[in-house]
Amino acid sequence: MSKKRGDTFRKIKRYRGIYLMLAPIAAYFLVFSYYPLVLGIVNSFHKVKLLGGSQFVGLSNYQEVAGSRLYQQALRNSLFVGIGTFLLQFVWGLCIAVFLNEVKRKTFKSLIQTVTYIPYLLSWTVVGGLWITIFSPTGMVNGILNQLGVQGSTVFMAEPAFARTIMIFTGAWKGAGYFAALFLAAIVSLDYSLYESARIDGASRWQQIIKITLPQIVPTMKIVTVLSAMGVLRNFDQIFVMGNPSINDKVQNLLVLIYNDGILKFNVGTATAAATLVLIVTMIISFVVRKLLRYDEAYDGR
Amino acid sequence: MRKRRLSALISALCLTATAVTACGGGSTAQGTTAATTAAASGETKAQETEGAKEETTAQAETAGGSVRILLNVTGGKDEEEMKLFVEALEAATGLEIEVEKPASDYSKVMMQKLSGGEKYDLIYLNASEYANLIDQEALMDITDYVKNSQILSQNVEQSEWDDITIDGKIYAGFNKKEVHRVVALNNAMLKAAGIDYQSIDPTLDGYYEVFSKLKETNTETDFYPFEVIMKDAWDLQPWMASVGVKTGVVLDDSGKKYAPVSTEAAAPVWEWFKKLYDEGLMDPGSFVDATSDMRSKMGAASKKSGCCVDWAAWVGLHNSNALAEGVSEDDYQVVSLPGCKTPDGNYMLGKGGASLFAVPANAENVEGAVKVLEYFATQEGGELLSIGVEGHDYTKEGDTYTQTEIGKTHGNDHGAPVPIYKDFKAPFGYNPGMEDALQFGQYASIEMTIPNEADYKEIVGKWGIQMIKGEASIEDGLAGMRKELMERGVTEVE
Amino acid sequence: MKKKKQLANELNLPQKIVMYLLLVCIVLIMAVPMWNVLVVATSSRLSASQSGVKLWWDSFSLDGFEYVFTVTKLLRPFLNSFFVTTVATVIQVVLSSFAGYVLIQKDLPFKGAITSFVMLTMMIPGDLTLISVYQLNKQLNLLNSYTGLIMNGLISGFSILLMRNFFETVPYSLAEAARIDGAGEVHIFRKIYLPVSLPGLATVFFMEYVAKWNSIMLPATLVTEQKLYTLPLMLKAMILTDASTSGTSFAPDNAVMAAIIISTVPLLFIYIFAQQYLLEGMNLGAEKG
Repeated sequence: MSKKRGDTFRKIKRYRGIYLMLAPIAAYFLVFSYYPLVLGIVNSFHKVKLLGGSQFVGLSNYQEVAGSRLYQQALRNSLFVGIGTFLLQFVWGLCIAVFLNEVKRKTFKSLIQTVTYIPYLLSWTVVGGLWITIFSPTGMVNGILNQLGVQGSTVFMAEPAFARTIMIFTGAWKGAGYFAALFLAAIVSLDYSLYESARIDGASRWQQIIKITLPQIVPTMKIVTVLSAMGVLRNFDQIFVMGNPSINDKVQNLLVLIYNDGILKFNVGTATAAATLVLIVTMIISFVVRKLLRYDEAYDGR
Repeated sequence: MRKRRLSALISALCLTATAVTACGGGSTAQGTTAATTAAASGETKAQETEGAKEETTAQAETAGGSVRILLNVTGGKDEEEMKLFVEALEAATGLEIEVEKPASDYSKVMMQKLSGGEKYDLIYLNASEYANLIDQEALMDITDYVKNSQILSQNVEQSEWDDITIDGKIYAGFNKKEVHRVVALNNAMLKAAGIDYQSIDPTLDGYYEVFSKLKETNTETDFYPFEVIMKDAWDLQPWMASVGVKTGVVLDDSGKKYAPVSTEAAAPVWEWFKKLYDEGLMDPGSFVDATSDMRSKMGAASKKSGCCVDWAAWVGLHNSNALAEGVSEDDYQVVSLPGCKTPDGNYMLGKGGASLFAVPANAENVEGAVKVLEYFATQEGGELLSIGVEGHDYTKEGDTYTQTEIGKTHGNDHGAPVPIYKDFKAPFGYNPGMEDALQFGQYASIEMTIPNEADYKEIVGKWGIQMIKGEASIEDGLAGMRKELMERGVTEVE
Repeated sequence: MKKKKQLANELNLPQKIVMYLLLVCIVLIMAVPMWNVLVVATSSRLSASQSGVKLWWDSFSLDGFEYVFTVTKLLRPFLNSFFVTTVATVIQVVLSSFAGYVLIQKDLPFKGAITSFVMLTMMIPGDLTLISVYQLNKQLNLLNSYTGLIMNGLISGFSILLMRNFFETVPYSLAEAARIDGAGEVHIFRKIYLPVSLPGLATVFFMEYVAKWNSIMLPATLVTEQKLYTLPLMLKAMILTDASTSGTSFAPDNAVMAAIIISTVPLLFIYIFAQQYLLEGMNLGAEKG
């Protein structure tokens, strides 16, 4: 035991240059992330009054949130839409990246890449409005359906049955180019000799994609998954812009509710309590995902 | 090896977890000390500046001190214009004015500023924020100041004050006069259908007739005679008037809150909406559109809609936009009507939720703040808030005003298109059609100011849509609406 | 022999057709909305206010752009955003590459704890720190200043983890060998890791640039002086109109779309710039082969 401790000590000494590199970053996070975090969590145990005179109320903010039917529903919606969006976006982005790697003409390639990336650059206030129009009774989707012989028009955005699908689709639409860029960056930096030897073995291009490209970018897939797991509950703008009362039961999520409570009604206590719960749930999700993917081991095992 | 890493990870997570719980449960003491030191350091700073302020006020006692204002839409459009605006305000009031204007997310920033210990003498807010801040005891009761001020009590209609009086107290003055929403109709379409808009029978059936005729004469597939924004129950008042029902939340005989649109009395109007929808007279977009969509459908460029409910000012804006692009009045003209007659022969229209300047409870110069409010309630103050700064937005020779090029781009709006002063004369007049629409103001009243207005709109919209689409019967829909309004604390009785 | 090699290097015809069809579909779905933005931005005011998705001009006009520069005065906010974002992103890339490098060290004590420390910062919802972030910036005197705009959100766990991911592709033995030769950490970092990770650096630079360029939450909290307004703040104020009061001040649709284009173009340029490094990374791979 003591030998082990001595070991650790020696290692720390050996890595002191490394720790020095980390110092400014650690200091930054302590001041700009952890200090506000602690103050925020303190607020969640208070009935906060804006001009002072906040009262300690123990767990009552938490009880209010946990007991609220709206918040429970919002958690389900957040998870469903969040996970659905991630899965679709993952596949969509991967397809773009793999296909792009097969396109030989450079200009064509860079054009496609740029076009698929642009949705990610625009804010939800812009693209949300656009999709609402596209799904409107007189919009493009109904137009296409009419061309295909479907009678009448559907108000897609007011149909609870379509609500989650639409959110997942548009969410993935917006983020696919971004995932694709991450995957592509990994694909292009793959070791070329792997393909060379496969080719000598007579593998077709398709086999090369399945047997080499995909397995080789698994570490990137993992990091994309881990990063996304932390953002699953973070979707505010999309639902804020695209939600409406007829579908809110299906899509309204935690952050939108927190906004209604905290900002529109100035209930800082309830809002911070709900936000703390979001943090805790995110920690759990992220922990599970990291364990499932053996993310932390992947890096040291090599 | 692996095990150790795993345990390191778990211990790290536990560590953070305990840190989190420790801060929450056990360490209120610790937490609050952090908070108090924070507050204290903020306070000392404030005291310092206060000290500095005292010195300057001592020097310029006649100036009446300084007033710090947090504002949203009011004032100049950029830094340079804001400076001119502040100078004009300073010259008129003899005060030293300091303004802060968040670029966006106003209500969030206001909350951060107030809880961060910033002190203002005036803060801009809307009706819902007003109610919420009173709940939080964050606003100062200025009832006596208002009563004692000649200008405030005489230049502003008593009914305006009544609208913002809560439990007998007033906490704010006005940024602008809130106008009302009217029924806006496309007169060119009415003429084509052979209808004189002034002779429309002001009943639900009368309007139904009009919509049917409009649909007959306009065969475009995506044209609908009528649109209403159900998404946030935008404005149902002109139609609810037909059964004498007031929108929003109302107190019953025993002083308990209830929502009249959710009662059986409102059923005929919901039936009427359903009929319009079933017969293709109501735009199905009504369920999802926002007011901006409604406006583009109503506008001269689309003409996809024949009738909607909108602000009086928008009647004028539609017309002036069309005229500016050379569309003649024969092709496009929006006119206004006050909607359906109530059973006792009156009209009912909805008025905008107030936009106010309130005095926070920690304001340091209440007299100064009241002085600014007084100025906003005069002809000159009204001009500053509407047509802008003299010499920049317009020039004045004797009684003739000439608008500059810059002024023209500002659309006579520097926070108050219609100022609160009751006898205000707009130097440049109003857009075509707006004056007529403004006359219906006598029928307009405000909805009761409630903190959870957003919930009200969402619930009424949600059940309204279900009833109109026929997913719920009118009876069930109304019952569901009442139940949910209760559950979410919007109303107190079903 | 040579011919066979090339054949194997490409998909066969049916696969190619399917692939191109899918690609065209994806590109169409993604391009239509953007095309709409472009058309509306270059239409006249009245024509821009037409309802529905607009895919072709009926009256071309650049009034929207004129409005944005003369009435909304976007130039200053544009330059503010450009300055703040560029400075902050450069610092961020440098610092997060340090941190990424730290995280790939083999059996570094407390590495798990450090990773968790970094990751937790990424999970904090903004609503939780809404009020305390303001207080912090007030205490540090960062309100209404460029320093404040740069400092807030300067480092993100996101880019640290990405950098670590890219560094992982460098064979650890290279660093080990250099260490045995007596090279210092800085030397190893600069001479071995950075050059190989250029595509990664470019990716992180670009992604962080986008995130900072579009950020609204923190600048809205920090800035109340109009000369410090950033572009997204102006954009949001232009797009969102408050329906609850009877204000009439609004920006015409063509101006709003023009503003959106103006705010997107710099990102496109930087993307094209970053793309070159991506291609370079590809060449690097080819040489190795």
